[in-house]
Amino acid sequence: MSTPACQLIGIEKAFGQNRVLRGIDLSLSSGEVTVLMGANGAGKSTLVKILCGVHAADGGEIRLFDEAYAPMTPSEAIDRGVVTVHQSIDDGVIPDLDVATNLMLDRLTAKSSGFFVRKRAIRAEAARIEAMMGLDLDPRTIVADLGVAERQLIGIARAMARNPKVLILDEPTSSLSAAEAERLFLLIERLRETGVAILYISHRMSDIRRVADRIVSMRDGRVAGVFEGHNLDYEGAVTAMLGHAMTAVDVQVTSGGEPVLQLENLRILPGSEPVNMTVHKGEVVAVTGLLGSGKSKLAAILFGLAQPDGGTMKLAGRSFAPRSVREAIVAGVFLCPKDRASNGVVRDFDITGNLTLPFLERHSNLSFLSRRRERRRTNEMISELGIVCQGPGDGITTLSGGNQQKVMVGRWMAEASQFLVLDEPFQGVDIKARRDIGRNIRETAGNRATLVFVAELDEALEIADRIIVLHEGHVVGEHQNADVDVTRILAEVSGQVAITA
Amino acid sequence: MTDANAEQASKPSAAAGRAWSYYAIRYGFLCLLIGLLIYFSVFAPGFAGPRSAVFIFQSVAITGILALGVTCTLVVGGFDLSIGSVATSALMLSAYVMVVMEQSAFIAVMACLVMGAVVGAINGFLIVKMRVPDLLATLGMMFLLIGLQRIPTEGRSISTGMTLPSGATAEGTFSPAFLWIGRHRFDLVLDNLIPVPVILFLVIGVFVWVFLELTRHGRLMYAIGSNERAASLAGTPVERYKVLAYMISGVLASVGGILLAARLGRGDIASGNNLLLDSVAAALIGFAVLGAAKPNAFGTAIGALFVGVLLQGLTMMNAPYYTQDFVKGAVLVVALMFTFALSSRRGGGGH
Amino acid sequence: MKFTRRVTFGLVASALMSTAAIAQDMPAPLDNPEEVTIALVRYLSTGDFFQAYLAGVESQADALGVDLRVFDSRQDAALQADMVDQAIALGVDGIVIQHGLTESMKEAAQRAVDAGIKVVAFDVNVENAAIPQIEQSDYLLGKLALEQAIADNGDSWDAGYVYVPGIAPLDRRHVAWEEVKEANPGIKEVAQMGTLDNPIANANANQARSVLQANQSISVFFAPYDEFAKGVKIAVDEAGLSQDVSIYSADVSTADISAMREPDSAWKATVATNPAVVGEVSVRALAIMLTGGDPGASVIVPPTLITQAFLNEKDIKNMDDLSANMPQFAHADVAMTDWMPLPSR
Repeated sequence: MSTPACQLIGIEKAFGQNRVLRGIDLSLSSGEVTVLMGANGAGKSTLVKILCGVHAADGGEIRLFDEAYAPMTPSEAIDRGVVTVHQSIDDGVIPDLDVATNLMLDRLTAKSSGFFVRKRAIRAEAARIEAMMGLDLDPRTIVADLGVAERQLIGIARAMARNPKVLILDEPTSSLSAAEAERLFLLIERLRETGVAILYISHRMSDIRRVADRIVSMRDGRVAGVFEGHNLDYEGAVTAMLGHAMTAVDVQVTSGGEPVLQLENLRILPGSEPVNMTVHKGEVVAVTGLLGSGKSKLAAILFGLAQPDGGTMKLAGRSFAPRSVREAIVAGVFLCPKDRASNGVVRDFDITGNLTLPFLERHSNLSFLSRRRERRRTNEMISELGIVCQGPGDGITTLSGGNQQKVMVGRWMAEASQFLVLDEPFQGVDIKARRDIGRNIRETAGNRATLVFVAELDEALEIADRIIVLHEGHVVGEHQNADVDVTRILAEVSGQVAITA
Repeated sequence: MTDANAEQASKPSAAAGRAWSYYAIRYGFLCLLIGLLIYFSVFAPGFAGPRSAVFIFQSVAITGILALGVTCTLVVGGFDLSIGSVATSALMLSAYVMVVMEQSAFIAVMACLVMGAVVGAINGFLIVKMRVPDLLATLGMMFLLIGLQRIPTEGRSISTGMTLPSGATAEGTFSPAFLWIGRHRFDLVLDNLIPVPVILFLVIGVFVWVFLELTRHGRLMYAIGSNERAASLAGTPVERYKVLAYMISGVLASVGGILLAARLGRGDIASGNNLLLDSVAAALIGFAVLGAAKPNAFGTAIGALFVGVLLQGLTMMNAPYYTQDFVKGAVLVVALMFTFALSSRRGGGGH
Repeated sequence: MKFTRRVTFGLVASALMSTAAIAQDMPAPLDNPEEVTIALVRYLSTGDFFQAYLAGVESQADALGVDLRVFDSRQDAALQADMVDQAIALGVDGIVIQHGLTESMKEAAQRAVDAGIKVVAFDVNVENAAIPQIEQSDYLLGKLALEQAIADNGDSWDAGYVYVPGIAPLDRRHVAWEEVKEANPGIKEVAQMGTLDNPIANANANQARSVLQANQSISVFFAPYDEFAKGVKIAVDEAGLSQDVSIYSADVSTADISAMREPDSAWKATVATNPAVVGEVSVRALAIMLTGGDPGASVIVPPTLITQAFLNEKDIKNMDDLSANMPQFAHADVAMTDWMPLPSR
């Protein structure tokens, strides 16, 4: 079939007492896409860091095309043909430089490249790479002016330009729209045909179904299962990753009580069609759509961070036009923002400090904090959400991503709200944590109206009573979450269905 | 077989190592302080004793108060380079109000406090509203104040009997009530033991500690310093707290300047840069105390005392002046090592 | 005769209008003083001493009726050298170099001399035979203060000494201290301290407190710089030792006078040269050179001893009172000629 390009034999790695990898055996073949699945904390990121030269393994060996391979630095790994696209986009690009320079950065750092920067040559070469990637960007654009998705594509394009023999992609689609992801998949296929061995790390089932030749599930630092062949056993892979079978979520659809939030002829984006939308008490509404569909803008409007282009909002029948986060909170509208690392997590604080941050007034007398009250509330939230930790005094950064996200969501569920908005609450979260969070949102939804912004349809189907599809700033579809026509929603998401007025 | 044995053997020692590093981070700096006290008590004659202890407190009282202000700005992730010049401006202002304008001590003190608050508010305004980076805004303010304090007297020191630019002679004096702030000593065990600046330092230290550690305002300021965006999205009025931090810093710096004026008994022109550097050092050393790894009022006070003990002991042992800066630098480097190297090890290696 | 002359010249100079009256008395080119430009190129400028020095330079230039340009490099040695070149380019007739570093000023001074400009240097050695040195004798400052200390306290005591090596005037004062210790074996230096951290008085007060605590035997403090003395006095007061310790220093200012005159002040005496007089002497020496005379390779302005007792006796409150009561402080009879106009007082 195909020859093994890279072989990992009994890789071990520990950080202090924490044994992260406990003997990983894995082989990657040329011309094959191996998908690596694993819950948060399974050891995927550590494995990637060993392969790309950030960490050294404590035990075991790696063979690359049958030669010993133990990179001490990332540049050594790249020299040997092992190229990695990291999850964190900004590791891959330099925001203050233009697109061409970013694409050609390796050429600039090479010792043979001469002293002076030859701008024209660089631009020409960059244009060639862009063409190969199907990127349509002016090479002179400054990267800082580009969106997240475009930056991600530049990072990937740069990796491709290094002529990799082994390409590692760590959650490359996490900030890409469906169309952009499709472009990436086409590229992956082309690379596969040229004989590159690809290791693809992802949580997204849709990605996995699209590109996987082979699935390796990891759990607790070990390989829990390898699945290959013509009909890949996705269920089996998930089960191996979780350690138990996944039960399907059964949403009991409710239509809700009196209206809480009403959008009346709201123009989300400049020049877009007005939006009318009502969210009722006791109901969970999911809003989905591509990047640029107006999801983020709508979230910002609800939370007083941006102003609509026209139209009005009403909260419980009264006019609602917040001009700051504080005003929104006072009105009883809570928003759990996306991108927890930059928008949510206070790294210096423990779980308690993170959880009680917005509502310190309720935990203090005359401005003096009552630690006892804070801790009691935190303990309640820890057990309600199933946050895995040793106690409320644990530093937030000692938690895995999924548990951090639970704290972020818990922050806004710890106090009663009229209207709760959650922006991408399942971002970077494994399936177990996703189910925990989703269950909790639904269980507590009775006394408020809930609006959830999600990029993945799977997530919407798991949590919502009603699904609203946004495209270019207006509503293109609305579905009760019972016997949903998934293909129709997908078509609406990608803008292939005309507006039904 | 041997590997397994080695692993078995290494486990308890690794655990012991971790416990050791935990205690080293938490109590290492305090142990160092106690060790120094014992060393100087044995080798520096006259070091041990209540008077000597009070000297140490007195020598660090002014920089300590300034350092508490620095701590407040560090907490919100800012930095205030202007405190030294705010202090010396307060020194000049109080002298000017009393000696040239012939006003009372009360008016002099109020004028200084208002000046500190206004300077802090301007710093805050530049940083929050004009988006000037904190170091640049406060650097500008520093130069501005160093120049400004010299303008009314054309660069001369202020003292009673001085000749004014107009040719007249300044007739006002430093009022006894004002000098009391810098010079009076309360009886405690011994007569005339505790000077007012020491009391003020301790009181302000407790206030700042309570404010930062026990109130929600302090908690929110720490949140701003750790992740400003997250704090803002949690509904914190970030801009208001930042301005507040700079105002606290300005007011505390002017308190330091008042104490300086009351101790010197005249208005000396000085850039105050040594005050700035010493107080920043104290606040940074404070990061290491109890393994806090962040700005904190208790640590700042201990940091100031640590430097005070070292300098007092060395001076008593007749060490030459240039060893002082060397020692301050060494303490700072060790403290920063405690803070950053050891406490990041405590956090573990990541994912 | 001399007095009336001085008054006449002073009045005339401050009136500024009728310079012609004196011009006839002065040799060329000062017979036409408005045509003469001199430059003052400064290295140090902040502080009472330098303010007073500048005032002296200004008043003497006024009295002569010449045009004075002041260049202030604010402790930037390279800039100071550039400023000499600027002055040369400006075509000035004479330059007073005030402080600076030998290394940076030597060549700039030579360039000025080469351009035919008369140069005098105050408190900086530019190693040039054509350039007279104006000096306040730091050695004598230290010597006179210590002689007073011996007169007051006998020749056997334990001393605290404030010194920061590497500062030229302090180094010269230090020579006097070494000599006095050598000559009087009974005088023991039990502690040395000193810092230039600012505020200088405050930083030295902290050190002196420690020194006094550690060395209770100290009865005399030699602090040959008034900021040092001020700091030591604060420490002595705080330690309640005003009766037991005597402080001897150098330099004087209005603030120093009030500190010396406080009740029970430990600050017994200081020795000073009036910086304004030094400024005047600098300009006079330059004027002599401009008219073709020679003020001598080194012009020394003698210092004056000022004791606490004298200040109290004459009820002296500030520098003006001091000048009025101490003629040798108000005017130094150096760099004088019979045609030289003096500033009004």
